[in-house]
Amino acid sequence: MSRAVIWLSLAVSLVLLSIPAASLAAESVCLQCHAGLSGDLSAPVADWQTSVHAANGISCHDCHGGDATDMAMAKSPDKGFLGAPEYEDVPEFCGRCHVGIFEAYSAGAHGQALAEGGAQCVICHGNHAVKEAGLDLINEEDCSRCHSYERAALIRLALVETDTMINAVEQDLDRLYRLGFAVDEMEGTLFNQRNVFHRTFHGVDVERVRRETADVQAELGKINEQVVEIDRTLGQRKLWGSVVIGLFILVGVIFLLVRKAYEEEGG
Amino acid sequence: MQPIKWLVDFIDVRLGVKDIYTKELSGYLLPRNVNVWYTLGAVLIVLFKIQIITGILLLMFYVPHADKAFASVQYIMNEVPYGWLFRMLHAVGANVIMIALVLHMLSVLFMGSYKGRREFTWLTGFTILNLSLGLCLTGYLLPWSQLSFWATTVATDAAGAIPVVGNYLVEFLRGGPTVDNQTLGRFFALHVVGMPLVLLGLIGAHLFCVKRRGISSPPFGKEYKAAQELPFFEHEKHPDGIPFFPNYFVKDAAVISFFIAFMLAIIFYAPGMFFPESAFQPADPFVTPPNIKPEWYFLWAYQTLKIFPSEIIGLGVQVAFMTFLALLPFIDRGPERRPAKRPLFVTCYVLGILLFVAISIWGHYS
Repeated sequence: MSRAVIWLSLAVSLVLLSIPAASLAAESVCLQCHAGLSGDLSAPVADWQTSVHAANGISCHDCHGGDATDMAMAKSPDKGFLGAPEYEDVPEFCGRCHVGIFEAYSAGAHGQALAEGGAQCVICHGNHAVKEAGLDLINEEDCSRCHSYERAALIRLALVETDTMINAVEQDLDRLYRLGFAVDEMEGTLFNQRNVFHRTFHGVDVERVRRETADVQAELGKINEQVVEIDRTLGQRKLWGSVVIGLFILVGVIFLLVRKAYEEEGG
Repeated sequence: MQPIKWLVDFIDVRLGVKDIYTKELSGYLLPRNVNVWYTLGAVLIVLFKIQIITGILLLMFYVPHADKAFASVQYIMNEVPYGWLFRMLHAVGANVIMIALVLHMLSVLFMGSYKGRREFTWLTGFTILNLSLGLCLTGYLLPWSQLSFWATTVATDAAGAIPVVGNYLVEFLRGGPTVDNQTLGRFFALHVVGMPLVLLGLIGAHLFCVKRRGISSPPFGKEYKAAQELPFFEHEKHPDGIPFFPNYFVKDAAVISFFIAFMLAIIFYAPGMFFPESAFQPADPFVTPPNIKPEWYFLWAYQTLKIFPSEIIGLGVQVAFMTFLALLPFIDRGPERRPAKRPLFVTCYVLGILLFVAISIWGHYS
């Protein structure tokens, strides 16, 4: 009996384990091939799986080009395969999608110093294990690898309040979305403002950061007003709901008391 | 008081309503020891009425088309005055109905109330339970969310496990090879017209069976009576019982009030209880969301299909179990109804409930 249970459990486990592997393999021949290689050639697969790109469905061929559905043509230049960019070409490589950030970066101190070995995207964000943009990326340990932390600390300080606001608004919108409220418009505004915010600090200019984050905060404030209004409506609903629930419980208790009276009378 | 008395007399001389009141309400006697579990039938009637009323209100704004269904539900939730309340009452109400139906069935099983020539009552009740599951399944697709789309895809896919006719059956259910606008159309028609009509008929038949055969006494205390299987029809009377109205009606009304309070408490304090994140995303046939799970009352069936190495075995086990339950009054024919005197039955009953809960939890976390 126990042997049968073990075999059954093993069979179920194998089926369950094979599901993600199968879906992964079906996704891209890049992953299929590199996952089977060793050392540096397989590391990108595991790194990518932890990345913000993977979380948003951005796969190898979206950056490196090529045909991800055909093993033979996967690395063909005819299919747009680009391979790995040189150090100085990385900002332009990433900038094909992150257009606004590329512009802000190029105009800022990091971008201007690129030819002399200035920091580019992967220095802060990593390459295949691309981290989600956030204030944690500005820290003494990482920034001090290239220069002193003082200026970066000032920029970080100027960003904290706006970043906190963005996160709070994001959580509020997610909460309201889960209650069935139409928040598409507010989410669109938040998306735009988050992009503006990210562009702002890629210029690494303290004064500009202070000036532009004030504008972002004003826009976030408008979203916040709408959230407060919806929360007020929810509060009213809950209040009236509580009253109605209380009434039903009261009516129920009264009926039970009447029933008890009948029982005491013998009926 | 005078105008009311005049109105009652006016109607009575024409329709004889006082006679109906005496026969069907104040003169309708129930067993003296009738307990709270007997109120679940009345609770279910009220809950089904709420579904009909809120369903009609939703119908005024819902658009049964794949391109517009999700937006119309969003419109109901955000723009229609009190639309959110009607929709929540309908969606949460469906879950509360399933809870009440399961409790009703379990109480009937525990008290052996299906015994004593009550096979028709049991069969109509069991069919109501299954039809309600069908109503839940068809209603689940209508919001055309990711959850709707993929849960329906998985549910209809299960029919494909049936040998020979499986693929034809899947195509018949969906109206095509995949879940699309055709599926939405037929599920909508079944949900708002076909199934409710059959359900109303079945509820009528169930009530007729209960009333005609007579209500069974609870199998407890000195008033216990063993189930009788006479070779002729006999209405089970309770001459020393209590009047249905007003004596027992007030208990029905109390439990109905508590059930409505429970339903409203979910709507106002835990509105997301029955709505995972994918219920708020529009259906996308090209993106399968992770962790799509059926509603709690289908989890046991979902997990049963996964436990066995082949879906056909899982499906066979489900069919065998449901057939056994449907035919239980024909299999369990002993007259004894007291749980204490039916140790084998009670053991199976408790183990069955534990198994249902365990497989459902397993299905939820698998």
